[in-house]
Amino acid sequence: MKTLLRSGIVAVVIAMTVQAVAAGQQEVKPPTGPAPRTASGKVDFSGVWQKPYVPDMTKDGKDQKGLADLPFTPWGEAEWKKYDAAEGDYTGACLPFGMTRSVNTPEPMQIIQSDKYFVFLFEQNSWFHVVPIDGRPHGNGIPTWFGDSVGRWDGDTLVIDTVNFNSRTRLDTIGHPHSEQLHLVQRFSRPDLGHIRYEITVEDPKTFTKSWTNTRTFTLRPDWEMMEYSCEENNKSLWEGRIKPPKPPKP
Amino acid sequence: MNWKIFAAFAGLAVATAQPASAHHSFAAEFDSSKQVTLQGSVTKVEWQNPHIWVYLDVKDAQGNPQAWQCEGGPPNTLTRNGWGPNSLKSGDVIVIDGFLAKDGSKTCNARMVKFPDGRSVFAGSSNPDTAPKKP
Repeated sequence: MKTLLRSGIVAVVIAMTVQAVAAGQQEVKPPTGPAPRTASGKVDFSGVWQKPYVPDMTKDGKDQKGLADLPFTPWGEAEWKKYDAAEGDYTGACLPFGMTRSVNTPEPMQIIQSDKYFVFLFEQNSWFHVVPIDGRPHGNGIPTWFGDSVGRWDGDTLVIDTVNFNSRTRLDTIGHPHSEQLHLVQRFSRPDLGHIRYEITVEDPKTFTKSWTNTRTFTLRPDWEMMEYSCEENNKSLWEGRIKPPKPPKP
Repeated sequence: MNWKIFAAFAGLAVATAQPASAHHSFAAEFDSSKQVTLQGSVTKVEWQNPHIWVYLDVKDAQGNPQAWQCEGGPPNTLTRNGWGPNSLKSGDVIVIDGFLAKDGSKTCNARMVKFPDGRSVFAGSSNPDTAPKKP
Protein backbone atom coordinates (compact mmCIF):
# COMPACT_ATOMS: atom_id res chain seq x y z
CA MET A 1 0.00 0.00 0.00
CA LYS A 2 1.38 3.33 -0.95
CA THR A 3 0.44 6.52 0.76
CA LEU A 4 -0.12 9.50 -1.41
CA LEU A 5 2.15 12.30 -0.30
CA ARG A 6 2.01 15.84 -1.56
CA SER A 7 4.01 18.76 -0.24
CA GLY A 8 2.12 20.68 2.36
CA ILE A 9 -0.64 18.13 2.52
CA VAL A 10 -1.20 15.67 5.25
CA ALA A 11 -1.99 12.33 3.78
CA VAL A 12 -3.50 9.73 5.99
CA VAL A 13 -4.61 6.24 5.19
CA ILE A 14 -8.10 5.60 6.41
CA ALA A 15 -10.60 2.88 5.96
CA MET A 16 -13.84 4.21 4.67
CA THR A 17 -16.89 2.81 6.35
CA VAL A 18 -19.33 5.10 4.72
CA GLN A 19 -22.67 3.48 4.27
CA ALA A 20 -23.53 3.96 0.66
CA VAL A 21 -27.05 5.10 0.16
CA ALA A 22 -28.44 3.62 -2.96
CA ALA A 23 -29.22 6.49 -5.23
CA GLY A 24 -29.17 4.52 -8.41
CA GLN A 25 -31.71 3.78 -11.01
CA GLN A 26 -33.99 1.46 -9.16
CA GLU A 27 -35.02 -1.90 -10.44
CA VAL A 28 -38.39 -1.54 -12.04
CA LYS A 29 -41.03 -3.93 -13.11
CA PRO A 30 -41.81 -3.17 -16.73
CA PRO A 31 -45.38 -3.39 -17.98
CA THR A 32 -46.54 -6.86 -18.87
CA GLY A 33 -48.45 -8.18 -21.84
CA PRO A 34 -47.84 -9.30 -25.38
CA ALA A 35 -45.52 -7.49 -27.75
CA PRO A 36 -47.40 -4.67 -29.48
CA ARG A 37 -47.77 -4.56 -33.24
CA THR A 38 -48.05 -1.81 -35.79
CA ALA A 39 -51.15 -1.31 -37.92
CA SER A 40 -49.48 -3.39 -40.61
CA GLY A 41 -48.95 -6.27 -38.20
CA LYS A 42 -45.22 -5.94 -37.60
CA VAL A 43 -43.75 -6.13 -34.11
CA ASP A 44 -43.47 -2.58 -32.82
CA PHE A 45 -40.23 -1.80 -30.95
CA SER A 46 -41.15 1.81 -30.21
CA GLY A 47 -40.41 3.08 -26.72
CA VAL A 48 -37.72 4.33 -24.37
CA TRP A 49 -35.42 1.49 -23.43
CA GLN A 50 -32.99 0.90 -20.60
CA LYS A 51 -29.85 -0.86 -21.84
CA PRO A 52 -27.08 -2.56 -19.89
CA TYR A 53 -23.80 -0.63 -19.72
CA VAL A 54 -21.24 -2.63 -21.68
CA PRO A 55 -17.84 -0.91 -21.55
CA ASP A 56 -16.17 -4.21 -22.45
CA MET A 57 -17.90 -6.54 -24.91
CA THR A 58 -15.83 -9.51 -23.69
CA LYS A 59 -17.50 -9.39 -20.28
CA ASP A 60 -20.77 -10.79 -19.02
CA GLY A 61 -23.01 -8.59 -16.90
CA LYS A 62 -26.59 -8.03 -15.94
CA ASP A 63 -28.64 -8.39 -19.12
CA GLN A 64 -25.43 -8.85 -21.14
CA LYS A 65 -23.62 -11.93 -22.42
CA GLY A 66 -20.21 -11.23 -23.92
CA LEU A 67 -17.49 -13.31 -25.51
CA ALA A 68 -14.42 -13.72 -23.30
CA ASP A 69 -11.80 -14.51 -25.91
CA LEU A 70 -12.10 -12.54 -29.10
CA PRO A 71 -10.77 -14.35 -32.19
CA PHE A 72 -8.22 -11.73 -33.22
CA THR A 73 -6.25 -11.85 -36.41
CA PRO A 74 -2.59 -10.83 -36.00
CA TRP A 75 -3.54 -7.34 -37.20
CA GLY A 76 -6.45 -7.14 -34.75
CA GLU A 77 -4.36 -8.33 -31.82
CA ALA A 78 -1.64 -5.81 -32.60
CA GLU A 79 -4.22 -3.01 -32.75
CA TRP A 80 -5.62 -4.10 -29.39
CA LYS A 81 -2.26 -4.41 -27.68
CA LYS A 82 -1.07 -0.98 -28.71
CA TYR A 83 -4.25 0.88 -27.78
CA ASP A 84 -3.98 3.33 -24.90
CA ALA A 85 -6.99 5.55 -24.22
CA ALA A 86 -4.72 8.08 -22.52
CA GLU A 87 -3.08 8.73 -25.88
CA GLY A 88 -6.32 9.97 -27.38
CA ASP A 89 -9.80 8.55 -26.99
CA TYR A 90 -11.81 10.12 -29.81
CA THR A 91 -14.92 10.26 -27.64
CA GLY A 92 -13.14 12.65 -25.28
CA ALA A 93 -13.39 15.17 -28.10
CA CYS A 94 -17.12 14.42 -28.35
CA LEU A 95 -16.69 12.74 -31.73
CA PRO A 96 -19.37 10.15 -32.57
CA PHE A 97 -19.18 6.91 -30.60
CA GLY A 98 -20.20 4.77 -33.57
CA MET A 99 -22.90 2.12 -33.56
CA THR A 100 -21.66 -0.49 -31.08
CA ARG A 101 -20.36 1.99 -28.53
CA SER A 102 -23.61 3.97 -28.66
CA VAL A 103 -25.68 0.86 -27.97
CA ASN A 104 -23.20 -0.02 -25.19
CA THR A 105 -23.91 3.14 -23.19
CA PRO A 106 -26.17 3.00 -20.11
CA GLU A 107 -27.97 6.12 -21.28
CA PRO A 108 -31.46 5.38 -22.62
CA MET A 109 -32.28 4.70 -26.24
CA GLN A 110 -35.60 5.54 -27.82
CA ILE A 111 -36.84 3.63 -30.85
CA ILE A 112 -39.25 5.18 -33.30
CA GLN A 113 -40.63 2.89 -35.97
CA SER A 114 -42.81 3.07 -39.06
CA ASP A 115 -43.28 0.68 -41.96
CA LYS A 116 -40.47 2.47 -43.75
CA TYR A 117 -37.99 3.36 -41.02
CA PHE A 118 -36.55 2.19 -37.71
CA VAL A 119 -34.91 5.08 -35.89
CA PHE A 120 -32.38 4.89 -33.06
CA LEU A 121 -32.45 7.94 -30.78
CA PHE A 122 -29.42 7.69 -28.52
CA GLU A 123 -29.48 9.95 -25.48
CA GLN A 124 -25.69 9.73 -25.37
CA ASN A 125 -24.61 12.98 -27.01
CA SER A 126 -28.10 13.31 -28.58
CA TRP A 127 -27.19 11.21 -31.61
CA PHE A 128 -29.60 9.47 -33.97
CA HIS A 129 -29.38 6.81 -36.67
CA VAL A 130 -32.06 6.15 -39.28
CA VAL A 131 -32.48 2.64 -40.73
CA PRO A 132 -34.65 2.08 -43.80
CA ILE A 133 -36.62 -1.16 -43.38
CA ASP A 134 -38.55 -1.04 -46.64
CA GLY A 135 -36.42 -3.51 -48.54
CA ARG A 136 -33.94 -1.18 -50.19
CA PRO A 137 -30.29 -2.29 -50.51
CA HIS A 138 -27.27 -0.63 -48.93
CA GLY A 139 -26.21 2.65 -50.45
CA ASN A 140 -22.81 3.50 -51.83
CA GLY A 141 -22.02 6.48 -49.66
CA ILE A 142 -18.76 7.44 -48.05
CA PRO A 143 -17.84 5.56 -44.88
CA THR A 144 -19.43 7.02 -41.75
CA TRP A 145 -19.20 6.76 -37.96
CA PHE A 146 -22.49 4.84 -37.62
CA GLY A 147 -22.32 3.06 -40.96
CA ASP A 148 -24.97 2.39 -43.58
CA SER A 149 -27.84 0.34 -42.18
CA VAL A 150 -30.77 -1.43 -43.76
CA GLY A 151 -33.33 -3.62 -42.03
CA ARG A 152 -35.39 -6.64 -43.00
CA TRP A 153 -37.87 -8.85 -41.23
CA ASP A 154 -37.09 -12.46 -40.35
CA GLY A 155 -40.49 -13.48 -39.03
CA ASP A 156 -41.02 -11.31 -35.95
CA THR A 157 -37.33 -10.49 -35.69
CA LEU A 158 -36.01 -7.27 -37.22
CA VAL A 159 -32.52 -7.78 -38.64
CA ILE A 160 -30.45 -4.64 -39.11
CA ASP A 161 -27.41 -5.04 -41.33
CA THR A 162 -24.76 -2.31 -41.23
CA VAL A 163 -21.65 -1.81 -43.34
CA ASN A 164 -19.58 1.07 -44.68
CA PHE A 165 -18.06 2.25 -41.41
CA ASN A 166 -15.11 4.53 -41.16
CA SER A 167 -12.33 3.06 -39.03
CA ARG A 168 -12.15 5.92 -36.52
CA THR A 169 -14.26 4.32 -33.78
CA ARG A 170 -13.72 1.55 -31.24
CA LEU A 171 -16.18 -1.23 -30.52
CA ASP A 172 -16.38 -0.42 -26.80
CA THR A 173 -15.07 1.94 -24.13
CA ILE A 174 -12.14 -0.27 -23.25
CA GLY A 175 -11.03 0.03 -26.85
CA HIS A 176 -11.49 -3.20 -28.76
CA PRO A 177 -10.60 -2.44 -32.36
CA HIS A 178 -12.26 -2.82 -35.72
CA SER A 179 -11.39 -1.92 -39.28
CA GLU A 180 -13.19 -0.42 -42.26
CA GLN A 181 -14.32 -3.98 -43.03
CA LEU A 182 -16.64 -4.02 -40.01
CA HIS A 183 -20.02 -5.59 -40.68
CA LEU A 184 -22.64 -5.61 -37.93
CA VAL A 185 -25.83 -7.63 -37.75
CA GLN A 186 -28.23 -6.56 -35.02
CA ARG A 187 -31.27 -8.71 -34.34
CA PHE A 188 -34.21 -7.26 -32.41
CA SER A 189 -37.04 -9.40 -31.08
CA ARG A 190 -39.66 -8.56 -28.48
CA PRO A 191 -40.73 -11.56 -26.41
CA ASP A 192 -43.22 -9.44 -24.45
CA LEU A 193 -44.31 -5.86 -23.93
CA GLY A 194 -41.57 -5.04 -21.45
CA HIS A 195 -38.46 -6.44 -23.11
CA ILE A 196 -36.35 -6.52 -26.24
CA ARG A 197 -34.01 -9.40 -26.85
CA TYR A 198 -31.01 -7.94 -28.64
CA GLU A 199 -28.23 -9.78 -30.40
CA ILE A 200 -25.28 -8.15 -32.14
CA THR A 201 -22.87 -10.06 -34.36
CA VAL A 202 -19.52 -8.54 -35.21
CA GLU A 203 -17.83 -9.59 -38.43
CA ASP A 204 -14.59 -8.01 -39.56
CA PRO A 205 -12.18 -10.27 -41.45
CA LYS A 206 -9.31 -7.82 -41.05
CA THR A 207 -9.65 -7.80 -37.24
CA PHE A 208 -11.24 -11.16 -36.35
CA THR A 209 -10.82 -14.67 -37.75
CA LYS A 210 -14.53 -15.36 -37.32
CA SER A 211 -17.68 -13.53 -36.34
CA TRP A 212 -18.73 -13.25 -32.70
CA THR A 213 -21.81 -12.22 -30.77
CA ASN A 214 -23.14 -10.43 -27.70
CA THR A 215 -26.71 -10.94 -26.47
CA ARG A 216 -28.57 -8.49 -24.24
CA THR A 217 -31.95 -7.66 -22.79
CA PHE A 218 -33.39 -4.15 -22.98
CA THR A 219 -36.13 -3.10 -20.58
CA LEU A 220 -39.01 -0.78 -21.43
CA ARG A 221 -39.02 2.39 -19.30
CA PRO A 222 -42.37 4.15 -19.76
CA ASP A 223 -41.40 6.33 -16.78
CA TRP A 224 -38.42 7.85 -18.63
CA GLU A 225 -38.29 10.66 -21.16
CA MET A 226 -35.26 11.31 -23.30
CA MET A 227 -33.15 14.27 -22.26
CA GLU A 228 -30.71 16.48 -24.15
CA TYR A 229 -27.02 15.60 -23.82
CA SER A 230 -24.76 18.24 -25.33
CA CYS A 231 -21.28 16.78 -25.02
CA GLU A 232 -19.54 19.94 -26.22
CA GLU A 233 -21.24 22.17 -23.63
CA ASN A 234 -18.56 22.04 -20.95
CA ASN A 235 -15.94 19.58 -22.16
CA LYS A 236 -13.29 21.14 -19.93
CA SER A 237 -11.23 17.97 -19.60
CA LEU A 238 -10.28 18.40 -23.25
CA TRP A 239 -9.97 22.17 -23.08
CA GLU A 240 -7.71 22.00 -20.03
CA GLY A 241 -5.48 19.37 -21.60
CA ARG A 242 -6.14 16.40 -19.35
CA ILE A 243 -7.60 14.50 -22.28
CA LYS A 244 -5.52 14.35 -25.43
CA PRO A 245 -7.31 15.11 -28.67
CA PRO A 246 -7.48 12.20 -31.09
CA LYS A 247 -4.96 11.94 -33.85
CA PRO A 248 -6.30 12.95 -37.27
CA PRO A 249 -6.99 10.08 -39.63
CA LYS A 250 -4.29 9.03 -42.02
CA PRO A 251 -4.90 10.36 -45.53
CA MET B 1 -11.86 21.82 12.42
CA ASN B 2 -8.78 21.49 10.31
CA TRP B 3 -9.74 20.06 6.95
CA LYS B 4 -7.26 17.61 5.60
CA ILE B 5 -6.83 15.58 2.53
CA PHE B 6 -6.97 11.88 3.03
CA ALA B 7 -5.66 9.32 0.65
CA ALA B 8 -7.82 6.29 1.11
CA PHE B 9 -6.64 3.00 -0.26
CA ALA B 10 -8.82 0.48 1.48
CA GLY B 11 -12.35 -0.28 2.41
CA LEU B 12 -14.04 2.08 0.03
CA ALA B 13 -17.77 2.06 0.17
CA VAL B 14 -19.25 0.09 -2.64
CA ALA B 15 -21.56 2.09 -4.80
CA THR B 16 -24.82 0.33 -5.35
CA ALA B 17 -26.03 2.61 -8.07
CA GLN B 18 -25.88 1.77 -11.72
CA PRO B 19 -22.57 2.97 -13.12
CA ALA B 20 -22.56 5.99 -15.31
CA SER B 21 -20.66 6.17 -18.51
CA ALA B 22 -18.43 9.02 -19.44
CA HIS B 23 -18.37 10.42 -22.91
CA HIS B 24 -14.83 9.05 -22.95
CA SER B 25 -12.79 6.29 -21.37
CA PHE B 26 -12.11 6.77 -17.66
CA ALA B 27 -8.50 5.78 -18.30
CA ALA B 28 -8.08 8.65 -20.74
CA GLU B 29 -8.04 11.11 -17.84
CA PHE B 30 -7.98 9.40 -14.44
CA ASP B 31 -5.94 6.78 -12.61
CA SER B 32 -8.01 4.11 -10.86
CA SER B 33 -5.02 3.20 -8.69
CA LYS B 34 -4.87 6.67 -7.15
CA GLN B 35 -7.85 6.97 -4.86
CA VAL B 36 -8.40 10.13 -2.90
CA THR B 37 -10.77 11.47 -0.28
CA LEU B 38 -11.27 15.23 -0.18
CA GLN B 39 -13.06 17.06 2.60
CA GLY B 40 -13.87 20.68 1.94
CA SER B 41 -16.29 23.48 1.25
CA VAL B 42 -18.12 23.77 -2.06
CA THR B 43 -17.33 26.97 -3.95
CA LYS B 44 -19.17 26.31 -7.20
CA VAL B 45 -21.14 23.65 -9.08
CA GLU B 46 -21.36 23.45 -12.87
CA TRP B 47 -24.45 21.43 -13.75
CA GLN B 48 -23.58 20.92 -17.39
CA ASN B 49 -22.84 18.20 -19.93
CA PRO B 50 -20.91 16.08 -20.43
CA HIS B 51 -20.23 15.94 -16.66
CA ILE B 52 -21.08 18.02 -13.66
CA TRP B 53 -18.09 19.66 -11.97
CA VAL B 54 -17.90 20.42 -8.27
CA TYR B 55 -15.32 22.94 -7.08
CA LEU B 56 -14.25 22.94 -3.47
CA ASP B 57 -11.70 24.47 -1.17
CA VAL B 58 -9.72 21.89 0.77
CA LYS B 59 -7.47 23.10 3.55
CA ASP B 60 -3.95 21.78 3.61
CA ALA B 61 -1.92 20.96 6.72
CA GLN B 62 -1.19 24.62 7.27
CA GLY B 63 -4.84 25.53 7.00
CA ASN B 64 -4.47 27.17 3.63
CA PRO B 65 -7.34 26.57 1.19
CA GLN B 66 -6.43 24.61 -1.91
CA ALA B 67 -8.77 24.78 -4.91
CA TRP B 68 -9.83 21.35 -6.18
CA GLN B 69 -12.24 20.34 -8.94
CA CYS B 70 -14.05 17.04 -9.22
CA GLU B 71 -15.98 15.55 -12.11
CA GLY B 72 -19.28 13.80 -11.48
CA GLY B 73 -21.60 11.93 -13.82
CA PRO B 74 -23.65 13.40 -16.64
CA PRO B 75 -26.56 15.59 -15.49
CA ASN B 76 -29.06 13.24 -17.12
CA THR B 77 -27.88 10.16 -15.26
CA LEU B 78 -27.59 12.05 -11.99
CA THR B 79 -31.11 13.43 -12.45
CA ARG B 80 -32.48 9.90 -12.83
CA ASN B 81 -30.48 8.97 -9.72
CA GLY B 82 -32.21 11.67 -7.70
CA TRP B 83 -29.71 14.50 -7.97
CA GLY B 84 -30.60 18.03 -9.02
CA PRO B 85 -28.79 21.25 -9.88
CA ASN B 86 -29.24 22.41 -6.29
CA SER B 87 -28.21 19.20 -4.55
CA LEU B 88 -24.92 20.88 -3.69
CA LYS B 89 -24.62 24.56 -2.90
CA SER B 90 -21.76 26.92 -2.25
CA GLY B 91 -20.68 26.64 1.34
CA ASP B 92 -21.76 23.03 1.77
CA VAL B 93 -19.11 21.03 3.57
CA ILE B 94 -18.79 17.66 1.83
CA VAL B 95 -16.51 14.68 1.49
CA ILE B 96 -15.69 13.42 -2.00
CA ASP B 97 -14.30 9.96 -2.49
CA GLY B 98 -12.80 9.47 -5.92
CA PHE B 99 -9.79 9.09 -8.17
CA LEU B 100 -7.00 11.49 -9.09
CA ALA B 101 -6.32 12.79 -12.58
CA LYS B 102 -3.26 11.40 -14.30
CA ASP B 103 -1.75 14.83 -14.93
CA GLY B 104 -1.14 15.54 -11.24
CA SER B 105 -3.47 18.54 -11.10
CA LYS B 106 -5.92 19.04 -8.25
CA THR B 107 -8.60 17.25 -10.23
CA CYS B 108 -10.58 14.18 -9.31
CA ASN B 109 -13.27 11.88 -10.61
CA ALA B 110 -15.91 11.70 -7.90
CA ARG B 111 -17.25 8.30 -6.95
CA MET B 112 -19.13 9.06 -3.76
CA VAL B 113 -20.18 12.34 -2.19
CA LYS B 114 -21.00 12.60 1.50
CA PHE B 115 -23.51 15.39 1.96
CA PRO B 116 -23.67 17.71 4.98
CA ASP B 117 -26.56 15.63 6.36
CA GLY B 118 -24.39 12.53 6.34
CA ARG B 119 -25.83 10.76 3.31
CA SER B 120 -23.27 9.23 0.96
CA VAL B 121 -24.47 8.96 -2.62
CA PHE B 122 -23.04 7.71 -5.86
CA ALA B 123 -21.68 10.61 -7.90
CA GLY B 124 -21.70 8.90 -11.26
CA SER B 125 -18.08 7.84 -11.59
CA SER B 126 -17.26 6.26 -14.93
CA ASN B 127 -14.56 4.02 -13.47
CA PRO B 128 -15.40 0.52 -14.74
CA ASP B 129 -13.64 -0.95 -11.67
CA THR B 130 -11.73 -3.35 -13.83
CA ALA B 131 -8.30 -3.07 -15.29
CA PRO B 132 -8.11 -3.38 -19.06
CA LYS B 133 -7.53 -6.92 -20.17
CA LYS B 134 -4.82 -7.39 -22.73
CA PRO B 135 -4.31 -10.57 -24.71
